[in-house]
Amino acid sequence: MTASASSLAQLLEVRHVTKRFPGVTALSSVSLMLGTGEVLALIGENGAGKSTLMKILAGVQEPDEGELLIDGRIERVDSVQTAQRLGIALIHQELNLSDNLDVGANIFLGREPLKRGFIDRQKIREDSTTLLKRVGLDVSPDTIVNRLPIGQQQLVEIARALSINARVLIMDEPTSSLSTHEAERLFEVVKDLRQKGVSVIYISHRLGEVRELADRVTVFRDGRNAGDLSREEITHDRMVQLMVGRDISQFYARKPHKAGDVVLQVDGLRTQAHPDHALSFSVRSGEVVGVAGLVGAGRTEMLNVLFGVDPAVAGVIQVDGKLCRMSSPRDAIAAGLALVPEDRKQQGLVLEMTVRTNIGLAGLKKNQKAGGFLNDAQEGRDSAAMIEKLRIKTPNERQIVQYLSGGNQQKVVLGKWLSMQPKVLLLDEPTRGIDIGAKQEIYLLMEELAEQGVAILFVSSEMEEILGMSDRTLVMHEGRITGELQGEELSEEAVMQLATGNVAAAVAG
Amino acid sequence: MKKNLGILGLFAVVFIVTAVANPSFINAYNLENLIRRSSLYGIIGIGVSFVIITGGIDLSIGSVIGLVGCALPWLMIKHEFPVAAAVPLVLLLSLVIGLGHGLLITRLKLQAFVVTLCGLLFYRGFGRWLTSDATMGFARDYEGLRKLAIGRIPLGELPFIGRFNLPVPFLILLVLAVLAAVFLNRTVYGRYLLALGRNEQAARFSGINTTAMVVLAYVICSVVAGFGGLLFALDSNSIQPASFGNFYELYAIAAAVLGGCSLRGGEGSIFGVMIGAAIMQLLYNSINLLGIPTTLEFAIIGAVILAGVITDEIVKRIAAKRRAVLQARQAVV
Amino acid sequence: MKRLSLLLSLLLLTTLGCSNSSQTGPGGGTSTGGGDNAAAGPKVAYVTNGIASFWVIAEKGAQDAGAEVGANVVVRMPPNGVEDQKRMCQDLLAQGIDGIAISPIDPDNQGDLLDEIAQHTNLITHDSDAPHSARKCYIGMDNYSAGRMCGQLVKEAMPDGGSVMIFVGRLGQANAKLRRQGVIDELLDRSEDSSRYDDPNAGEIKGEKYTILDTRTDGFDFGKAKAQAQDAIAKYPDLGCMVGLFAYNPPLMLEAVREADKVGRIRIVAFDEDEATLQGITDGAIYGTTVQNPYQYGYKSVEILTALAKGDESVIPEGGFINIPARNIKSDNVADFWAELKRLTATEKAGSPATEESNAATSEASATEATEAETDAAVKSESATE
Repeated sequence: MTASASSLAQLLEVRHVTKRFPGVTALSSVSLMLGTGEVLALIGENGAGKSTLMKILAGVQEPDEGELLIDGRIERVDSVQTAQRLGIALIHQELNLSDNLDVGANIFLGREPLKRGFIDRQKIREDSTTLLKRVGLDVSPDTIVNRLPIGQQQLVEIARALSINARVLIMDEPTSSLSTHEAERLFEVVKDLRQKGVSVIYISHRLGEVRELADRVTVFRDGRNAGDLSREEITHDRMVQLMVGRDISQFYARKPHKAGDVVLQVDGLRTQAHPDHALSFSVRSGEVVGVAGLVGAGRTEMLNVLFGVDPAVAGVIQVDGKLCRMSSPRDAIAAGLALVPEDRKQQGLVLEMTVRTNIGLAGLKKNQKAGGFLNDAQEGRDSAAMIEKLRIKTPNERQIVQYLSGGNQQKVVLGKWLSMQPKVLLLDEPTRGIDIGAKQEIYLLMEELAEQGVAILFVSSEMEEILGMSDRTLVMHEGRITGELQGEELSEEAVMQLATGNVAAAVAG
Repeated sequence: MKKNLGILGLFAVVFIVTAVANPSFINAYNLENLIRRSSLYGIIGIGVSFVIITGGIDLSIGSVIGLVGCALPWLMIKHEFPVAAAVPLVLLLSLVIGLGHGLLITRLKLQAFVVTLCGLLFYRGFGRWLTSDATMGFARDYEGLRKLAIGRIPLGELPFIGRFNLPVPFLILLVLAVLAAVFLNRTVYGRYLLALGRNEQAARFSGINTTAMVVLAYVICSVVAGFGGLLFALDSNSIQPASFGNFYELYAIAAAVLGGCSLRGGEGSIFGVMIGAAIMQLLYNSINLLGIPTTLEFAIIGAVILAGVITDEIVKRIAAKRRAVLQARQAVV
Repeated sequence: MKRLSLLLSLLLLTTLGCSNSSQTGPGGGTSTGGGDNAAAGPKVAYVTNGIASFWVIAEKGAQDAGAEVGANVVVRMPPNGVEDQKRMCQDLLAQGIDGIAISPIDPDNQGDLLDEIAQHTNLITHDSDAPHSARKCYIGMDNYSAGRMCGQLVKEAMPDGGSVMIFVGRLGQANAKLRRQGVIDELLDRSEDSSRYDDPNAGEIKGEKYTILDTRTDGFDFGKAKAQAQDAIAKYPDLGCMVGLFAYNPPLMLEAVREADKVGRIRIVAFDEDEATLQGITDGAIYGTTVQNPYQYGYKSVEILTALAKGDESVIPEGGFINIPARNIKSDNVADFWAELKRLTATEKAGSPATEESNAATSEASATEATEAETDAAVKSESATE
């Protein structure tokens, strides 16, 4: 395969593409080649720039610099329609099907063949049948999409891509929601397409899949090319090295913590998202425990169950040795837990309300006066204290939270919980989308809280954060805790191995 | 108060125009009528604003009014229940209705629109069946109880308008409004309602029992509607089960929206709702007093309300722009 | 309390149980008297234009006639106007019916519905006519002359002239238009011409002695009807007389006048025989009322439909109009009239003399008694269908 790919003319070439967003350079002069009938795996950590490049190829965004060549000609891909005309189709991680319509309608959505002004159902049916056969899916075109299992829906998406005569198929994490069996079925289809001359750019975190499928691997890191691997060079370790491979900054200089008694003890916890795996761990007072893993590893689900947002399927949660039933966030708060959720705007804040109101929201009941009246004075004291302590940049406490920057919004969420003086602080991606200064402030705050004896459990997808902040790291993979790393064992490679499910390599490393 | 300036202005304009065009508008008798009607509609408007604040809707108000309106004389006249039993009974009935709405919406996750739309049909039909569709009334009995709706408290001579009597429903409205405003703005539960109306998820993540609060809002709405139905029945004294209270939910919702409640939830002012209800009744009154054909009245009311809402929106945008400019300046400094 | 227990049992029986009783309409559908022979007789329908106590009396007449002539009578009262009436009629046709007597809400524009009924079964009109339809006959009064009779009452109540307000539910239907025109023409001493029409939006109509200030419609909204009476009192401090053309208008006008403390100063002239209206006349607060004979509307309608169903066309008179004349009721004859009315609407089977009913119409609480009597009858008929 490799031989044929290199000997053939390049179908697609990306030359020195740069893409900037306000405050960030997402892609910095990246290049990429794709031959006809080649499967190219594109890998990299979260935020390495893979999705941005895919959006550029699919015509969703235009590059600031650089060019795209197709069949050796420079093309401007300024819209999804242009991309489709050039034969590039993108299959999103989240499927883009109208699941209330039937298979045929989905394949031809927006390009319905007409006959005397009406949709030509007969033609849809015939053409769909042919396309479905190509992807090896044996269902009637009249089946409503939501009746199909998720793996077959994915094949419908591929059939749709083929219906526009796609020559380049971009698949973004296609197996993230598939079962093993469904994934294998998908690999067969991909291999078959390659045989028929379709080129595939395959984005995945699952290095095992990459090893099985890819003719070549391109690695991105921090929006740059980090290296290429040819078929023979593709090994798990090489890929991980290329994906991480950089110094840990001095950003996280911190003192070692003196861990106290166990505050949070979790035994045999099963979440609805991954009921097959039981989670057991503990967090001590004054300890900072990081939870690493790839997107979809079940980390947010675990925090939500701990905080009573979602019900647990099974398991025991103890706080300070006392058994707690977390049937709602109220129970969790009463037990001394606090959660800074992943989705700040939807779950952390009431955006249209003031800084003061948001800070006071969790403590309303605790501080209420007789008869359920608001304790205005206490709310004022709390909000003033938090604005000062957390250095929230706001004109005044009556400012509507919506108008604050991301970092300051996050501080408001933290302020809300700190005013409750929690024993356990759960943080879900606490520094996502905030600037570097605010990030460091939040790290310092975590330090300070740990010193005061708060038990901190934080989920992060940023490797540096995990390495720099945690006393101990739990690594999750597909709903399981695949390992626990501490002290010397804690390295980027080890985390990456465990996060991609390679337990043996991590232990060896 | 500040955010109700627009609607207050609208009220003043219509008031002054009518007063100038027809001097009998400001005579005591007409003002008493106007105040009584505005109060009755204001009461049900306050009820529904609780539901609207949570981002919900209650379309069944008119039918609850109809049901209570005919259940009350049905109990008192036909079954000779004493007032002390009949009144609590009908209020309990509306409480159960509100509880039902709240539980269906929060527990079964049905849409409020659907639940209360079915309620609209169900309670209407139920009331008609209960009373065999016969027109009900208190004849000339129960003068004491009827004072709640038609009673008047003499205030003596007032400048310009002469001997003035304050309709009792206005006092009821005032008491209810003060209670509602205190509840909404001074208690933790009011704060819960406002927070969950804006962002239910964030409220839940902050430890608020959003389910209980939503149920509470529907209970408040239905009980107040039932109480309003009682007053409407005592006022009109002629209750036809098929039509009594028809469309009143729309008057109540319009009053709440005019008064600054956002149908998206999380926003509402009790004072605004009172003015909103008063504007609707003022318009009806003006149309009659100015001799505008009845056939035009819906068109006029629709147009005036729309004009009010548009003005309000424009004023808000200008304010938002100003704030943005101000912030930009602060940021520069 | 019967209804309370019935309610409980119905809740248990759920929809199946009550679909039966609701099918037959308020007040019970199948005749109360001739149960056995009714089952074998023709099934005829009596459709009103809305819900009012007026129609309760008509229903009584219809049921009585049903028992008398051996017909199965279904009464339908559409609460929400034309669409409702159409739906009810089409449902009746779908069920199979041997004749429909209807009071068309909007005869000029309901041609399609009336044709549809006439194609399937015998169609007659009552209360309000549809002369251009294929109806076999019209049972009712001449609304224009009734309007003039009502105008006569206004003249008597206010012999020295004055201002008059007219209140009516809807002006769309012919009977309302004609009554209003009759009142106006009588007050202006115009010649008899029922085709004349004064636009209600044209403002004041000034005559020599009488001025018709305005006509307000309320669309059957009771709250609004009362509000409009109040607004008229506010707008015209020296208003002389209020005329209510639909049965529910006068009681609400009376409420408004009472609350304004203007009983006697503003005279009230009514149409139809609502309990509260009759009470008002007895008390002297209402000058008089022009009454139709709804009992006879119902009775005659069923009688004629039954005959037609049996193939007897001879009941149709020349010209197709069966006149049930109107009467004026004032303080001197209200007691007798009311007693008669109560006899007609009494719970006993039609035909058996209601001797236990005293003919001295004591005013006290008679309204409630009558309501109770009606609802009791309803309970009985419904229990019978259970």
